[in-house]
Amino acid sequence: MIRILRKLGWTARRDRREAELRDEIEFHLQEETRQAEAAGMTSEQAQWAARRELGNVALTMEDTRAAWGWTHLERFWQDLRYAARMLRRNPGFASAAVLSLALGIGANTAIFSLLDAVVLRTLPVADPRQLVQFTNTLPLWDTGSDMASSLFAYPQLERFQAQSKTLSGIFGGTGLGRLVVGFHGTSQLADGDACTDNFFSVLGIAPQYGRFFQAGDDWARASIAVISDRYWRDRFGADPAIIGAAIMVNQIPFTVVGVAPRGFSGTSVGNGPDIWMPLHALDRLAPDSKRWTDPFSSWLLIAGRLGPGIQREPAQAELDAIRRQFLTERLSASEFGGLENVRHFVREGHLALRPAATGTASGLRDRYALPLMLLMWVAGIVLLVACANIANLLLARASSRRREIAVRLALGASRGRLIRQVLTESMALALMGGALAVPLAWWGGLLLVRMISTGESPAPLAVAPDLPVFAFTAAVSLLTGLLFGLAPALRGTRIDPGPAMKEGTRHASRRSRALDRILVVTQVALSVVLITGAGLFVRTLQKLWNAELGYDREHVLMLSVDAKLAGYPSERAGAVYREILEKLRILPGVKSASASVVRPVEDQFHLVDRVGEVDGFTLPERNAIRVEWNSTSPGYFSTVSTPLLAGRDFDLRDTEAAPKVVIVNASLARRAFPNRNPIGHKLGEATIVGLVKDSRVNGAREQPGPVLYYPLFQHGREQEYRWGFVSFELRYGARSGLLGEVRRAVASVDPNLPIFQAGTLRAQAEQSLLKERLLATLSSFFGALALLLACVGLYGLMACAVARRTAEIGIRLALGARRGHILWLVMSETLWLTVAGIAAGIALALWAARYAKSDLFGIGPADPATIAAAAAALTGVAMLAGYLPARRALRIDPVMAVRYE
Amino acid sequence: MSMTPASRVELLQGTLDLLILRTLLLGRAHGHAIAKHIQRTSEDLLQVETGSLYPALHRLEARGWIAAAWELAETGKRAKFYRLTPKGRKQLLAEQAKWATFSRAMGLVLKPPGEEPV
Repeated sequence: MIRILRKLGWTARRDRREAELRDEIEFHLQEETRQAEAAGMTSEQAQWAARRELGNVALTMEDTRAAWGWTHLERFWQDLRYAARMLRRNPGFASAAVLSLALGIGANTAIFSLLDAVVLRTLPVADPRQLVQFTNTLPLWDTGSDMASSLFAYPQLERFQAQSKTLSGIFGGTGLGRLVVGFHGTSQLADGDACTDNFFSVLGIAPQYGRFFQAGDDWARASIAVISDRYWRDRFGADPAIIGAAIMVNQIPFTVVGVAPRGFSGTSVGNGPDIWMPLHALDRLAPDSKRWTDPFSSWLLIAGRLGPGIQREPAQAELDAIRRQFLTERLSASEFGGLENVRHFVREGHLALRPAATGTASGLRDRYALPLMLLMWVAGIVLLVACANIANLLLARASSRRREIAVRLALGASRGRLIRQVLTESMALALMGGALAVPLAWWGGLLLVRMISTGESPAPLAVAPDLPVFAFTAAVSLLTGLLFGLAPALRGTRIDPGPAMKEGTRHASRRSRALDRILVVTQVALSVVLITGAGLFVRTLQKLWNAELGYDREHVLMLSVDAKLAGYPSERAGAVYREILEKLRILPGVKSASASVVRPVEDQFHLVDRVGEVDGFTLPERNAIRVEWNSTSPGYFSTVSTPLLAGRDFDLRDTEAAPKVVIVNASLARRAFPNRNPIGHKLGEATIVGLVKDSRVNGAREQPGPVLYYPLFQHGREQEYRWGFVSFELRYGARSGLLGEVRRAVASVDPNLPIFQAGTLRAQAEQSLLKERLLATLSSFFGALALLLACVGLYGLMACAVARRTAEIGIRLALGARRGHILWLVMSETLWLTVAGIAAGIALALWAARYAKSDLFGIGPADPATIAAAAAALTGVAMLAGYLPARRALRIDPVMAVRYE
Repeated sequence: MSMTPASRVELLQGTLDLLILRTLLLGRAHGHAIAKHIQRTSEDLLQVETGSLYPALHRLEARGWIAAAWELAETGKRAKFYRLTPKGRKQLLAEQAKWATFSRAMGLVLKPPGEEPV
């Protein structure tokens, strides 16, 4: 600190002015002497007269210095040095306080940095507040609630671009999903997006290297690509020479023309693509002639920028009118014109503009916004508990410093000055804690990102401490310093010096004991809230994990293979998958193997269709059965242990040439054929050959709904294997080395086939509970921390109380009080404080838990067992914290104690 | 130093600044000369305490109303000379006007016209 000030030239300047002031006064003295001599005095007389005239030189200099306006800084500097001395003298107190503050502030900062990255941060583009995302809202028939969809048809985008006057730019884009990117002979998977050529210019960002797309780049044979900064570093070693280099995307050549700026990872939080290409490059990657012309096939995400000074509402009204006009026109000319649900969509649906300053719709954000808010509260509460602790310690110290403060007051120090000095001490503590919290928060933030990342690599979230995060840390540190420092500072200096100097050091006023107790009760109450919350989240996780899922997640290995990425056309993909399955089936250690489009646990996607014809009868359109569907190979149900309730599984008979067959789950059977055996009945053209138990594909939270299973090798052809990849499931006896064997087996079919998402079903099931695990783990950690802090606070309070009452206890013992009585004397106070805290805590917990309701499962927010457990845990630990000082009270030697006073 | 204490006048709060500024209107001067000048021109009625003179000078300097430089005095010694800045000149005019109003008001109350002098 001294060095910094010196660097600023402050001390040097100060020394110079000091010398100048001395010279100035000296000159005054000489001048006075000279004039006195001139008036006829002797030299000695003159000097004396001059001195007399000058008065108190030290005081004059002090007053003059005050005019320089540096006094505040100087006093602050004094206070700081004093604070440093005080803290050095109590290293135990100082390190405990700094450490608990660092933990508390660090936890807050870490969670804030994630909250900032996921929810709060605006996109790193020009004027993000002007960005809006297009959304369709549609009232559902079944539930009456609005369904929102962000997908549009390409001709709609063209119409919006042509007709909108309120938006200054409109762009569209779509995810390309997984791509195989080959460079210099090696192939790796990457995530890609396709976007219209105005994407980057509407966002208003500039490339780091090379160029972005320009008008005219988006055409049928587009062969250029832009890569993200992260991909550029990870894959290409940050080599600028990548500009102009050729890469192979799904075996098709592209040229890299630009590198996106650092920090920009797409418009949707959490799904940063590695590579962008013009929208029409889709024609080279996955030709589909109807894509550009079909007005009702929705696949495109659209966003835009509001024109200068234009509000969202008028723009929304304009675009909604354009949408309606467009759809009505096209509907009359369309084969779908007669379909009731399409008409419903046109008539009842509306276009809404969603503010997109912080990014377009993001699954990651939807999932984690609430949990992160909850955790932010939790971390804030922990910090409060830590503050209460430090406040209590400072209060205890303030009462032992009463004499010192009284002396200072008596010597003429103003109360404000003393308050400032005590507060400086608190601030120094808080800032030291804050400084230590920064690395802690950085590490914690990275840990959190890994905790919520599902893929092989961490989610593309920037949690490194940046300016907002630093500002947050600094603000929190100062606030905590004020919070725990103000009460001790105010109370410690409210002293009447006379009596305070006379009395013993141990005495403290009644009022101060009340404040201490309130702080401890608050701590206990807040701990109850956190422990209850932790209990609720832990039980939620347990219930989800133990829920009946309809499949067995143990001993199953899964992996996905994409023949399309290896360049196979869809006609030949089926044969490749069949060959792989045959090879996997005969691997040693594999009991059974199967293939499917959707996995038993799937968070990536699910397929939805409507069944409109049962046993030849066409259902009225609004009664069509909404089903999720999957295509499975023979052996799927036995491999994942989903019980077959009736009929048969698919087998080798169900070829492309054979009659169409399907398997239904119990929910679908109940819905389509109430109280009847569904086997042999027909859904559309296909005959039902099997009935399986319901299985919770979408996780334990979702009630199972109707599911339709098609035979993979019969139906896949019809679907043109359009999802590209197929997942293989293997039930194994022995797992060691299995994945290597599997890779070799797949490579023996074709070494170019990419394998991804390899892992056990159990691991994937765990991954599907990431959010719940995050909540349970962190809330338990914070709960334990709060409990520990509260106990330390309680212990400190009781230890102080016992020390204060040493004489009283000694006299009681001397007069023959029983030990049990003394024990009760001390423990009863602990008990009352704890009970009061728990009562307040339960009330608070009941109120707070409502906000977590949507993140709970199988348990109410006011779960009596959880609350009872939290109360019991707190009572137990509090009793322990109270027993230690109580035991000390029992050991008091009456003679010593009475003499001591 | 032959004045009897009874005839001295205590400086009113805030008037020292005005006196310093007015003195410096005549040209640069060091602290001692300023004090002596005030004393002389007030016919020794106003005695400037050194203990308040230097804090006042430094305060005025910090406000930018006067500026200081080390120069050689007539005696050949280095002394800190103060001079009025343009900002200080403006301040002086304002203060003088305020003072004139104030003293007139005081005069009106203490010696209303038409009343016999006490």
